[in-house]
Amino acid sequence: MASKGVDLGAVEAFADGAVQRVEAGGRGLVVVRRGDVFYVLRDICPHQGARLSDGQVTGQVAECSLGGEPALERDGEILVCPWHGWQFDLCTGRSLVDGEKNRVRSYPARIEAGRVLLELD
Amino acid sequence: MTEVESAVETQEASTFSLIDCDVHNYPNSIEELMPYLSARWQAYVRQSGFSGPGGPTYPKGFAQAARRDAWPPSGLKPGGDPDFAREQLLDEWGIDLAILNPLYGMTALHNLDFANALMRAVNAWTAHTWLGSDTRWRGSIVVNANDPENAAAEIKRASADTRFVQVLLLVRSSAPYGKRQFRPIFAAACEAGLPVGIHFGGSGNPITACGWPSYYIEDHTAMSQAFEAQLVSIVCEGVFCEFPELRLALIEGGFAWLPGLMWRLDKNYRGLHSEVPWLKKLPSEYILEHCCATTQPMEEPKNPQHLMQLIEMIGRDEFLLFATDYPHWDFDSPDRALPPVIAGDLRQKIVVDNAVAFYGF
Repeated sequence: MASKGVDLGAVEAFADGAVQRVEAGGRGLVVVRRGDVFYVLRDICPHQGARLSDGQVTGQVAECSLGGEPALERDGEILVCPWHGWQFDLCTGRSLVDGEKNRVRSYPARIEAGRVLLELD
Repeated sequence: MTEVESAVETQEASTFSLIDCDVHNYPNSIEELMPYLSARWQAYVRQSGFSGPGGPTYPKGFAQAARRDAWPPSGLKPGGDPDFAREQLLDEWGIDLAILNPLYGMTALHNLDFANALMRAVNAWTAHTWLGSDTRWRGSIVVNANDPENAAAEIKRASADTRFVQVLLLVRSSAPYGKRQFRPIFAAACEAGLPVGIHFGGSGNPITACGWPSYYIEDHTAMSQAFEAQLVSIVCEGVFCEFPELRLALIEGGFAWLPGLMWRLDKNYRGLHSEVPWLKKLPSEYILEHCCATTQPMEEPKNPQHLMQLIEMIGRDEFLLFATDYPHWDFDSPDRALPPVIAGDLRQKIVVDNAVAFYGF
């Protein structure tokens, strides 16, 4: 590998849409693959410390008026904590409620030569 | 109602020293309401011997739930003599404005048409007998919550008299007020520019979620449960989203429970907000932006400093409205109910300014 970055494994090791825990650089990470895009967050909920890798991926219910038909948007981009249901934007790590205050550390990942590489500081 | 009768003539709000946001007036008997009932309903009352909605299911600590000294020398009932109430409450305590909340239990009646007739009669009686007796009285429009469409029509009719400053609901309803069936009441209140007050009492479900307790002490203490249920319902069912201008007064329900409720509701919102996608902000923000609560029955912790902590936890100095609950036995005295620890600007807000802002006095 020519580039710097922590090697999380082969692309094929991550099933599309699955939520997986990996350990790298001495920390637990949760990885979610959507096609060629990999989302990587710290595997700990900022609320009460649950492993987000035990959670599930879903979408965001769009704001709607009372009695309206709620639409599901951004399906596959939201990770739900397994304990209290806090929802985090996989792209940013921010909670969907109070996202400025409540966020999970997110890390940029890329694919090189069939490997998933992560930038850890 | 004449133009003169409905005119609001009071001093400038800047000179107020005390506003009482919960006072009770009662017809002494059904006879007082008869002039405001149609011939059909007068005949119905006379033939049936109807004397008024049922008495209390919990005998109160005192007759008529009243202070023993609130029985007027005239022989009328506590809250039944406007002149005596003026002397004993308004004059004695230097009250500039007082809001009358008639707790007439017409919602206990299963005959909606009769209940609606009594609703209209009580409001007409309040306007004529009480609001006309002293310019310091303000009125609440009683409504039959079991018939929201007719309640809305009554709000529209009665609110033409600007001495009415509020729409009155009772906390023990047949269903939580956030349910969509009650929307016409909130819509009419907003159209009339009036806040809605929810007061202790009612004739719907029990005061506790577990059913009927045995004693008045339980009824009185557990009142906060019903208020919590109503507030959660109104927020989560999107009433404040649908009516951004709605103001809601929680009357005689206490307030010490509010911080815990807001914490729980906000916490649950973080995990369950997708269930209520019409909410655009934290539930506590809706509560603090739209609601006020009256002080009586005043929370009395052993350490008065804890009151200040509670108010700080609520997070809004504009939240509390002073109330006596005259002529009831659990009257809060204007000179003693608020402990000295509530002082300065905060005290001024609670006894005057918050009511001026909330009711638009």
